[in-house]
Amino acid sequence: MLKSMKKFDYFNYIFLILFSCITLYPFIYVLAGSFNQGTDYMNGGVYLFPRVFSLDNYKMVFNDKRLYYGIQNTVARTVLGTAAGLLFTALVSYGMSRKDLILKKQIYWFNLFTLFFNGGLIPFFLVLKIYGLINSFWVYILPNLYSVFNMIIFANYFREIPEEIHESAVVDGANEFTIFFRIYLPLSKPVMATIALWIGVFHWNSFFDSMIFTTEPKLQTLQLFLVKLIKEASLGQGQANIRVPAHVLNTVSITTVRYAGIIVSSVPILLVYPFVQKYLVKGVMLGSVKG
Amino acid sequence: MKSTILKKYNWAVFFMAMLGVVFLILFNYIPMFGIVIAFKDMDGVINITKALAEKPFVGFKNFISFMNDRKFLDIISNTIGMNVFQLVFSFPAPIIFALLLNEVQHLWVKKTVQTITYFPYFISWVVFGGVVISMLSPDNGIINVVLQNLGIIKEPVSFMANPDYFWSIVTISGIIKGIGWSAVIYLAAIAGIDLALYEAATIDGANRFQRMLYITLPGILSTVVILLLLSISNLLNSSFDQIYMLQNQLNLSRSEVIDTYVYKIGISEMRYSFTTAVGVFKSAIAFILLWGSNMLSKRYLGRGIY
Repeated sequence: MLKSMKKFDYFNYIFLILFSCITLYPFIYVLAGSFNQGTDYMNGGVYLFPRVFSLDNYKMVFNDKRLYYGIQNTVARTVLGTAAGLLFTALVSYGMSRKDLILKKQIYWFNLFTLFFNGGLIPFFLVLKIYGLINSFWVYILPNLYSVFNMIIFANYFREIPEEIHESAVVDGANEFTIFFRIYLPLSKPVMATIALWIGVFHWNSFFDSMIFTTEPKLQTLQLFLVKLIKEASLGQGQANIRVPAHVLNTVSITTVRYAGIIVSSVPILLVYPFVQKYLVKGVMLGSVKG
Repeated sequence: MKSTILKKYNWAVFFMAMLGVVFLILFNYIPMFGIVIAFKDMDGVINITKALAEKPFVGFKNFISFMNDRKFLDIISNTIGMNVFQLVFSFPAPIIFALLLNEVQHLWVKKTVQTITYFPYFISWVVFGGVVISMLSPDNGIINVVLQNLGIIKEPVSFMANPDYFWSIVTISGIIKGIGWSAVIYLAAIAGIDLALYEAATIDGANRFQRMLYITLPGILSTVVILLLLSISNLLNSSFDQIYMLQNQLNLSRSEVIDTYVYKIGISEMRYSFTTAVGVFKSAIAFILLWGSNMLSKRYLGRGIY
């Protein structure tokens, strides 16, 4: 019996490590390609390290005006959208978590119903059109201010804070807003970090809203730029005026430029991920343990 | 009388909760009423509010024209087909993964595997889809190189250009991207199992496989059932980002699903009523599926979502 368990352990470790390599490898493959000269890459054989090192692919990507619009919009929506969404959802959740909320049950059901039913894409699009949010930067911020899922996690966390703290603050003359901002928010840093990261990743990665709610290139996000770069048939299709030296244009290839685009648009996540991973996971535990 | 009511209730707290309610009215409930568009003929109108008030009801005309659409069967079979693939392969994968990960005794191995496998979840489908396309490329894509070197294929295969491969590509890439993260919830459930059960079982002579089979699995069963019911109700929902990224003109016959179709026809061609009808059709079936599977689960497994 002991022998078969040992065998299982070996198998298990090899399998898990192999699977991790399969998950990680594509990113190394793309990273190596992005630093390799384009025409040389087409000969094949670049798997782990660049063979003919070159920064031309990145020069090409950074020459594209759409990249700058994309970075501007994506950074703006990530920063603003995360801050506003976090604060708004936390404030609503505080209200939802209090025992003395009027019509508590009805308001909860009003929230939960939206998780099971929605009008679909077209009515949503038309409503945003009526609100004047189509082709506006605010279409990234306003519809994402509040999330029922995050509210449930926040409210559960707020309920865990001892009621005595609230009572003593009331005795000291603090109103609900002061209590929320000065006591509850500072006490909920772990859950705030988790939800801020979720909202941030969502904003950084989304392209769907940019694709359907905006048509102006100046409003489009980084991920949408990347969609276009990947789906374009040839180089420079979307680049209005290319100011790249001829020797660069002759040696880059669409494949390696795409790789550079992929790396540029995922760098922030690549950089912060190892440090924030534990906060990202914490939220799932918070949500799932209490159901 | 009035002042006692004012005092009894906490109006500041009510105000905060109402901010959420106002948001939901604006961005969730008003669009729900937009469903009436499906029963009117508003394709291509510019002034929506005016058309909404003036256009007559046309009954189920838009629904019937969807069912008579020459793409209807393709779209429905692609949507359901890919989801069934996911249900059969992608649903059990994270459960097995969590069970295997739970058997790892070296903490640093466990942590490293987790860190690596959670990572793709946080990368957008745009990036991950771009990576998948380049790995599968017939021009020196790594998959083709490996398969050729192993002698499995002789000529490079254009995986993305052949519709027959599409469902498998979606399923496998979805598993690689999501397995680690989906396993988190099962790992949390496993962590909640009482350790005394394992001790008692060990004393009774149960080996590791028996403990896995008779304690860990039943311990996470309720989580499994809930997630299974939710994924059954999502049978007509596709991962838009993923399919849109991997889709191209050549594989369209096996890659067009309801969600991508609604986007193309609804937004680009402004066929508002037709596509709203498609959306309502989808929601109705999702509701029936959730209700039906919940009922069956309650009858045969004794538990449901509500």
